[in-house]
Amino acid sequence: MDAILVSIVAYAKLILLSMVPFVLAGQGTMLGGRTGVFNVAQEGIMLVGASVGFLVSYLSGSIVLGMAAAMAAGALFGLALAYFTTHLKMDQFVIGLALFFIGVGLSTLLPKLIIGVTLTPPLVPTLKDLPVPLLSKIPLLGEIFFNQNVLVYVSILVSVALWWYLYRTKLGLELRSVGENPQAADSLGINVTRARYWSAIIGGMMIGLAGAYLPMVYTGTFTEGMVKGRGWLAIALTFFGGWKPLTILYGAAFFATIEVLAYRVQVVGTGIPYQFLLMLPYLATIVVMILTFGKTRAPAFLGQNYDRERRAL
Amino acid sequence: MVILRMEGIRKAFGGVPALDGVHFELHPNEIHGLLGGNGAGKTTLMNILFGLYRMDSGDVFLHSKKISISAPRDAIAQRINMVHQHFLQVDSFTVLENILMGAPLKESLTMRFGEEEKKIAAIQKRFGLEIDLGATLGDLPMGTRQKVEILKALYRGVEILILDEPTTNLTPQEVDALFLSLREMVKEGLSIVFITHKLREVLSVCDRITVLRNGRNVTTLRKGEAPEEEFVRGMVGEEMNLEKSILFSGIRESRAAPLPGGEALLKLEGAGLRTADGLQRLKELSFEVRPGEIFGVAGVAGNGQTELAELVLGLQPPTAGRVLVSGRDVRERTTAQLLGEDVAYIPEDRLHDGFLPKANIAQNLILGAQRSRPYSNGWLIDWKTVFASAQEMIAQYHIKTAGPGEVGGNLSGGNIQRVMIARAFSREAPLLVAHNPTRGLDIPSMDFVYSKFLERKAAGRASLLISEDLDELLLLCDRIGVIYKGEILGILPREKFEKYAIGQLMSGVRREA
Repeated sequence: MDAILVSIVAYAKLILLSMVPFVLAGQGTMLGGRTGVFNVAQEGIMLVGASVGFLVSYLSGSIVLGMAAAMAAGALFGLALAYFTTHLKMDQFVIGLALFFIGVGLSTLLPKLIIGVTLTPPLVPTLKDLPVPLLSKIPLLGEIFFNQNVLVYVSILVSVALWWYLYRTKLGLELRSVGENPQAADSLGINVTRARYWSAIIGGMMIGLAGAYLPMVYTGTFTEGMVKGRGWLAIALTFFGGWKPLTILYGAAFFATIEVLAYRVQVVGTGIPYQFLLMLPYLATIVVMILTFGKTRAPAFLGQNYDRERRAL
Repeated sequence: MVILRMEGIRKAFGGVPALDGVHFELHPNEIHGLLGGNGAGKTTLMNILFGLYRMDSGDVFLHSKKISISAPRDAIAQRINMVHQHFLQVDSFTVLENILMGAPLKESLTMRFGEEEKKIAAIQKRFGLEIDLGATLGDLPMGTRQKVEILKALYRGVEILILDEPTTNLTPQEVDALFLSLREMVKEGLSIVFITHKLREVLSVCDRITVLRNGRNVTTLRKGEAPEEEFVRGMVGEEMNLEKSILFSGIRESRAAPLPGGEALLKLEGAGLRTADGLQRLKELSFEVRPGEIFGVAGVAGNGQTELAELVLGLQPPTAGRVLVSGRDVRERTTAQLLGEDVAYIPEDRLHDGFLPKANIAQNLILGAQRSRPYSNGWLIDWKTVFASAQEMIAQYHIKTAGPGEVGGNLSGGNIQRVMIARAFSREAPLLVAHNPTRGLDIPSMDFVYSKFLERKAAGRASLLISEDLDELLLLCDRIGVIYKGEILGILPREKFEKYAIGQLMSGVRREA
């Protein structure tokens, strides 16, 4: 009895822990999309975030600095996306893919340039659990929810804050209006360009941080391609989360569950080929997409660029 | 006396001048009609005033003070606001959210709108604009959505209100209500710019008019001072022969003739259309169009008109019932065959369906007929014949272009419409499906199109005229069917035509017996 309870608590804790990259990347994608900027470079941005975050904390010895650097790198990618699409009005998808490839390349290039090739992988200390006083003493729940690393708390708080911002504040209403009908927003004096820049930049920051989470919590080091498709999954997550902060939070928990299960089954060794287990999150994505098809909606102006003076024929 | 003055306004799009030294004056407490065909520059001029477009040169004076407007927020700050033809609204938001978007809020961190709601309610009461503020905008009918737009402007405090083709999607009843509201606003001290191309509206509601043509001023007239004929003349231009005009003299003797007989060229038998996800687009449509008949379909845009046209063209097969063209089920033939043999089509959306902006005029003119004689021998297109007949059509339909070889995208909207009209009418097909054929045309061109419809009628050809312009339907049609939510609510013969009765059907109110 006790043994089962203990392992359930351990699983639940692990799910919350593994949910963070999905939450952060999903919310970042969602935020940009709410002004119509559709980021598809998550995978690349997360890799850069992982790489830069690892390098800076390795060199400076400060994990906080590492996170800040990963966010700055993500912000730069967001800025580039906003500039090319909002300012130069280039195709969002093409630019996003280009940024993805740049991200992949940079993420492996930087460690080689800065640290070089070493025999043993360079390590940084991983994020420690930070029990919340009092709350972490609650039986079972305290262990699951309040005895986690700081980014677990941050990712949940950010999701709730984003919900409040989008649905309960004037600025949120205006931000949403930009992604629905920028011309309407513009005609009411809302600065469409500014909204798109900020949402893309802050969205990029969150995606960068999502990437940094991987070396800082899981491995303690950067390895090539370590994001392993989580960036792509974040896009799917955002879609089936209907571009809503809270639904994305639940969806992230779903993906994390599958990820945890896949790894556990692998460890236990059931004879199922591990390649199949690695496929599970993607299979789940397809299944969920089919189930939710037509039930969720994306911002009406998603992926498009706004040109005030564009004339109809 | 003058509240707003615009002087020497110039604006070019990609090197093509849209406004060429236009001046405009607005007096306090007037409804000022701004008239002209498509491409005349009326919307462009007002978009400049509202800050959506930047002018290349010119000056704007408000209360004799020079002002500079570089974005809509500047215009709103100067108490200038605009209601666009295509409403600038967020469909997924509520009415209240749409009104308050971008406006300062008292409690900007809670979305509790008590105070703002009170203010809106007061405005609603004053101008007779009753709407449920909690409704989701996308669910509302066009007339209500327009009220939201006006409310949006009034809420921000407005001295000059610009309305761009405000009656396009309204039933006659809604138009009357709008005009009453406008009068009320003028009484309360507003000045209104009313962009339109509809003659009757101008005569009934405007105090003064300014006419633009090809980006230049033509004339400005005051209603009291000028006789009605001069008003009309100002709008239509000098060349048009009003005596011979169908629009002004109406249609006489031939129109009283009984309904033509003969085998129906288009027949719908309980035709219905249901989308894959179960939405009923069209329901139980049954009517026929006989040789020599012009059958009109009236209705507010988006009630199934596009689907009806696509059904007849075979673009979408009916999911219930049958559609017969010249006695044959549309499903027997491909759309290409239908277009090559029995049907000519003027699509509603010239941007997406009717025109190839990168192809030249000649190619656009034979589009749909490129497989059949005389343009093709079945294998190759005979470009000599194509260009020769393109030349003819350009002359006959007054298409303003450098020649058949010019790229289509260079033409103005009105001229593109002429290309589509030339293409459809020159086919002399037994059945014509025309969806808003005169949209964007100036009055003489509209009149020309009407005469072409009557020619078809005289030649015993059938026409299905789907139009949002009720006046046009009343003028031309032998019978009018009113479509509402995909259903024909009633079919009226010519002797029973009555604007308000049709208006009632358009808003979904069924007639008793």
